[in-house]
Amino acid sequence: MPNERLAEFDSGQVSEEILDKLLHRSRPSVNDALRSIRRPQAALGVAKSPLGDLLVALGSGGLLLVHYLPSDKELAALIARLRSFFDPVEDRQAVQTVGAEVRKYLAGEADSLRQKVDLSLVVTAFQKRVLQKLQEIPRGAVVSYQALGAVAGAPKGARAIGNAMHNNPVPIYVPCHRVIAADGRLGGYGGGRARKLQLLRSEGFALGKADERLPDGVVWGHKGTKIFCRTDCHTTARVDRTKIMFFADPGEAKQAGLRPCKICRPA
Amino acid sequence: MPGTKLRLLPLPFDEIMRRHERELLRYLLRVTANREDALDLFQETWLRAYRAFPRLRPESQVRPWLYAIAVNLSRNRARDGVRRARVFAANRKDHSVADEMDGGDRRSCGNDGYASVRFRELIAALPRRQREALRLRYISGLGYDEIAEIMHCSEENARANVSQAVKKLKSM
Repeated sequence: MPNERLAEFDSGQVSEEILDKLLHRSRPSVNDALRSIRRPQAALGVAKSPLGDLLVALGSGGLLLVHYLPSDKELAALIARLRSFFDPVEDRQAVQTVGAEVRKYLAGEADSLRQKVDLSLVVTAFQKRVLQKLQEIPRGAVVSYQALGAVAGAPKGARAIGNAMHNNPVPIYVPCHRVIAADGRLGGYGGGRARKLQLLRSEGFALGKADERLPDGVVWGHKGTKIFCRTDCHTTARVDRTKIMFFADPGEAKQAGLRPCKICRPA
Repeated sequence: MPGTKLRLLPLPFDEIMRRHERELLRYLLRVTANREDALDLFQETWLRAYRAFPRLRPESQVRPWLYAIAVNLSRNRARDGVRRARVFAANRKDHSVADEMDGGDRRSCGNDGYASVRFRELIAALPRRQREALRLRYISGLGYDEIAEIMHCSEENARANVSQAVKKLKSM
């Protein structure tokens, strides 16, 4: 086969006008076909906050994702998870509100986290239920993994709760920093312990930088009896620990609708 | 992402479509040599690509990824097409299409003269991998590294496939 034949093969026999015409003709049908399988869009961007840069994804249904940057090895997996349900579009402006809300929140404005939360990225039904229950824990209180497990229907599932916290796509807004070990130690945090302490401190817990446990001023609140006690009250020795919530101080417990114990008189 | 060094996302899908639709359609038209088939494969390539899009990592190359889908789809189509065509062509295996054209009116065929159709037949007769490599190289002008990625082989292998194909075509 002579060289010029190859050259012709190379040059392309389809004229540009025909290509234009065909593209014009096929675009509507391609877009039609795509429309039926399109994933919803989500705005993705980095928001500045006092807790550091946050990677934020916002969908039309609410806040989908908050992640502490700089990245760790799970960031790529997290974004892959986002992309399998949504089409993220970079939008720096849209996510700034989240940064502003977090800033106000840390400054002490209790009701500044207004953004609605969308738990679409949580795949398992159990984890979704756990995170929904977790949203009922008020500011100024913390629960143990064990107690949260009991509320979500898994009284022996403290570890499973740990996993659910680890997979929480929307920290801060879904307050996984309010979950601690049953013996009063503070436990870990996906964004690092320093951030957990910072968040809890802003919610009224008198914690120092190096503290490992809840401070002495906390009170125990019982969900069933609606009574709160000092930590050294003798009634706390035999109480069902899965029904306990810890409050930063008597004031927070009262605000949550509990009355002080008549034996230890915490307030 | 503006302001950060992180590259978290590949280009948006619509932007990828806008950038590559032209060359993809050109490629498919040349490979299938049939307008309807090409348009069909064109649409199917985009659908497949969209479904697979979440698995495309931000750091990977879009072009070879897209071509890999198109090549696989047209390979499937060719395989099914051959099966269909065999039924019809069974009784006239000894004539090539180009030979039959001699009897017809050449001018009505426009550019598709005897040589051109014969040439297409020769390409079709090449081993599959050589044919695919040749087309990616000469229709779409892809680099050997990209061809290697599409065909899951080494760069040397891609180069060898193309040069073997060219050598065969020249010798005929």
